[in-house]
Amino acid sequence: MTADYAISVNNVGKTYTSRDGQENVVLKDLDFHVNPGEFVSIVGQSGSGKTTLLNTISGLQDATEGEILIRGREISEALKDIGMVFQSPVLLPWRNNLDNVLLPLEFRDSVTPESKEHAMELLHMVGLGEKATRYSYELSGGMQQRVAICRALVSRPEILLMDEPFGALDAMTRDSMNFEIQRIWRRTGCSVLFVTHSISEAVWLGDRVVVVGDRPGRIIADVKIDIERPRAKEHKFSEDFAHYVAEIESHIGVTAGIS
Amino acid sequence: MTTTPRIEADAVRHVEAGPPPMSPRKQPKQSLIKSESVSAGIKAVVGLVALFALWELVVFIFKFPKYLLVGPVSAFEELFTNPGYFALNALTTLQEGLAGFALGTALGVLCGALLYYASFLRPFLYPALIAIDTIPKVALAPLFIVWFGFGFESKAFVAMAIAFFPLVINTFDGLNSVPHELQDLARINRASKLKKMMKIDFIYALPSIFTGAKISISLAVGGAVVGEFIAGSKGLGYVILLANAQVDLPSMFAAFIVLAAIALLLFFIIDLVSKKLLPWKNYTK
Repeated sequence: MTADYAISVNNVGKTYTSRDGQENVVLKDLDFHVNPGEFVSIVGQSGSGKTTLLNTISGLQDATEGEILIRGREISEALKDIGMVFQSPVLLPWRNNLDNVLLPLEFRDSVTPESKEHAMELLHMVGLGEKATRYSYELSGGMQQRVAICRALVSRPEILLMDEPFGALDAMTRDSMNFEIQRIWRRTGCSVLFVTHSISEAVWLGDRVVVVGDRPGRIIADVKIDIERPRAKEHKFSEDFAHYVAEIESHIGVTAGIS
Repeated sequence: MTTTPRIEADAVRHVEAGPPPMSPRKQPKQSLIKSESVSAGIKAVVGLVALFALWELVVFIFKFPKYLLVGPVSAFEELFTNPGYFALNALTTLQEGLAGFALGTALGVLCGALLYYASFLRPFLYPALIAIDTIPKVALAPLFIVWFGFGFESKAFVAMAIAFFPLVINTFDGLNSVPHELQDLARINRASKLKKMMKIDFIYALPSIFTGAKISISLAVGGAVVGEFIAGSKGLGYVILLANAQVDLPSMFAAFIVLAAIALLLFFIIDLVSKKLLPWKNYTK
């Protein structure tokens, strides 16, 4: 039934072998699935291999063990179903925002009048329709990241991978971006895999929170978040929310030897 | 544009928010840039005039004999009594220097790109290039004369040999500084190597390539002069040699001034082209 999953990570491991033959196990026996349309947050300490995990799912790196299926298919055939948002927006400064959004389609030689319209719709959706012909240096960090999100969505991917997309933003911008991404996700209906350092961000956004422990990266908890949608700011102060945050914190704390 | 103030206000508010290198910084308005460059121009002229005044003063106070040092006044006097002579020879040097620069730039960018893209060749190519660079290009001039004769070509090749290396390094560095996220983006979208080169890599590397070109342009003119020293019957290098033989210091200093003017002019032309071609650099710097 793996074809029913949006992403299916089956016993994936990743080992780097250094030149002197030392093996560094970054990921070990990862096994989890993402359902179609599901929002899954991944938390873990830095160095726990979260980014490596995302890179193996996006096909940028190969897993050394196990297999990853995107909607039941090998990654190599599925790349077109994936959009990716990085920690920094990395927009091209010589392109205006619309052209930055269209870049992935230019790579694929599939820019059409319709796709341009779609790109404009995306910019309107994130509130930047007026700034389509502006350049990235005229935008704030949060706005730049919104353009980067449009760029990831322009090819109508069914899976959106986000690697600490708001890590470089200040707290207030980050909060508003969380609302934004919830809205975008609900409108596009794509599956999201969202890597973050922030436990509260992970809980607030996720249908599930997957906790990755470090050395080697492995799944130590997979917590289902039962908070109604759409979520509002008030949910951050609810008892349920605090309970989930505490639970996840305890999972991370134990492996790090803190508690 | 009514939206402009708001954009700026937003950008300033989130100054710390955006990650480098494309974070919005203070955005000088167009008029500000212009008035800045005008005042910079005035300052440059003032500096030059002060330099000439100091030079004249030193010559005047210490009463240097005319065969040791002359002041700018007699140099300019010489320049304006024989303007055709200096102009014609300057043109020769300019042509040689420019030809060498163009060739060196083309070859340098090519080599830099090869160094970057053919990563398997890098361990072989890089030490070889460094080895070649350690040879003083001036020492190659006699060889080029053997190869290309006494005319235009040998000087252009000396200029090329000197102009080449900064472009190799700067092209490579520029390509090497493309953020890995952009590489990933290209890979996720199955961009062909050529598409990635044209749409990302080379444009991204352009500022660095221009930096190399700015270094190379004055080096190239110097290279042409060295070529003329060794085997020339025209050009500013030849003018200097001739003046040297005749202990004609005003002529020699006039040639120096023309040389400096040429190098300066070419430098500013490249600077101007880079500013026109890379407008975003004015903001992201």
